[in-house]
Amino acid sequence: MNDPYQVLGISESATDEEVKRAYRELARKYHPDNYHDNPLADLAQEKMKEINAAYEEINRRRSGGGRSASSGYGGGWQQQYGGSSSTFQQVRTAIQMGDLSRAESLLNASGDHGAEWHFLKGAVCYRRGWMDEALRYYQTACQMEPGNPEYRRALNLMQGGSPYRPGGENFGTLCAGNPCMTLCCAYTLCNGGYCCFI
Amino acid sequence: MFGYVRPPQDLPEEERRRFGRAYCGLCHALGERYGPAARFILNYDFTFLAILLSDPEEGPVHHGRCAAHPVHGRDRLETTPALALAADESVILAYWQLRDGVEDHDWLHGLKYRGVSALLEPAYRRAAQARPDFDGSTRRQLALLAELEREGCPSMDRAADTFAVLLRGAAGEVQEPVRRRVLEQLLYHLGRWVYLVDGADDLKRDAASGSYNPVALRYGLTQGLWTEESRRSFAATLDHSIHMMATAFELWDFGVWTPVLERTLYSGLFQVGKAVLDGTFRTGRSKKTTPALEQGGDTQERDT
Repeated sequence: MNDPYQVLGISESATDEEVKRAYRELARKYHPDNYHDNPLADLAQEKMKEINAAYEEINRRRSGGGRSASSGYGGGWQQQYGGSSSTFQQVRTAIQMGDLSRAESLLNASGDHGAEWHFLKGAVCYRRGWMDEALRYYQTACQMEPGNPEYRRALNLMQGGSPYRPGGENFGTLCAGNPCMTLCCAYTLCNGGYCCFI
Repeated sequence: MFGYVRPPQDLPEEERRRFGRAYCGLCHALGERYGPAARFILNYDFTFLAILLSDPEEGPVHHGRCAAHPVHGRDRLETTPALALAADESVILAYWQLRDGVEDHDWLHGLKYRGVSALLEPAYRRAAQARPDFDGSTRRQLALLAELEREGCPSMDRAADTFAVLLRGAAGEVQEPVRRRVLEQLLYHLGRWVYLVDGADDLKRDAASGSYNPVALRYGLTQGLWTEESRRSFAATLDHSIHMMATAFELWDFGVWTPVLERTLYSGLFQVGKAVLDGTFRTGRSKKTTPALEQGGDTQERDT
């Protein structure tokens, strides 16, 4: 394992509070929500594991070598898939394997254009980088099945998630250089405006 | 399509100087490989590309005089393989951008594009020979884009995808698999962002000339004017691409270039996007001095 202090970017003389702060900043940066459906999510997951292990190790050393009482951020990486028809299951598998062409051709061949179809079209678009169309497919999926938590989560993360920005500053084009940050973000695109579409 | 990627104006002095050394290094690499005439294509966008492709360490710095700074001279990076790659790719990109200008204008208005592209042609031929894969993919993507423009493609994402894939090709020669994945994702979304911002910047001009504009088609804008809702939705899609660039950036150690890249991705792009949406970008850049120029990067910055 790499030097845990180096992993967190701090010196060995850092106070417990500084350790915690460094860990939180990195955990926010590589948090699963920040990489939801991201084609590089596997790399972020590796980073997160390394950060969690480093934090655990520092806590273990500082508590006299026993088991650490603190626990890092965990889980969140596994998609929770509800029951779906076998075609859609194949689409999900193809997306997870990164085979977007196969996912797309399966969806195009499907006659069922229900909520799940729209959600999966959105997931394919998102991974491909077609963000405008991804958002619109997610919106349609949520309109067709408002109670589905999976669709709602994907939409909420796109619309009102809190993308990481160093120093906890707001993230958004319309907020750039705007001194009235709170006003701007109250109803638009930054972390202040965690709005629900449905 | 160039002129939108630039570091923010409040870049710390040390980083400003570092950026300036990369800028002058790229200028020198262009001159060294393609002769003095090729230096006119130099811009911040290409410098940003050079930095992305660079090693984590800065490498040897050379102080020398040039035509733009004949008295005091400037510090610049020695040519590295990354600067050479960026120089070659910049020549290919600039050349095809100029040819695109020739296609887009009638004979009279296309004269300046024809003249400058003829000037760059010998350099382009050598660059294309040195980087045949990048040249081939650039030509393919631009042909695809021209076809979508002819058809009047209503999908903003589909149109932007052509330029995004084109720019992603700039990382094609990177060998290390993780670094390559990171750069490809970052460059894809940088290309998407540039294409969309350029579309937004051209809204009024395209509306007046009746030219294809994917942003106007997507939002059904008349006379190139935003509605509040479309403006907000467009800003959101720009933000999604910036988010994708930032998440890719955080997964690789860019070493000494980290601060300038971080500031550009997390601040510079927001500032440019906002200025374009507010209609202050074009007026602003003719009045304000840009960071590398202040510290004497070069006087050749221009919008291609």
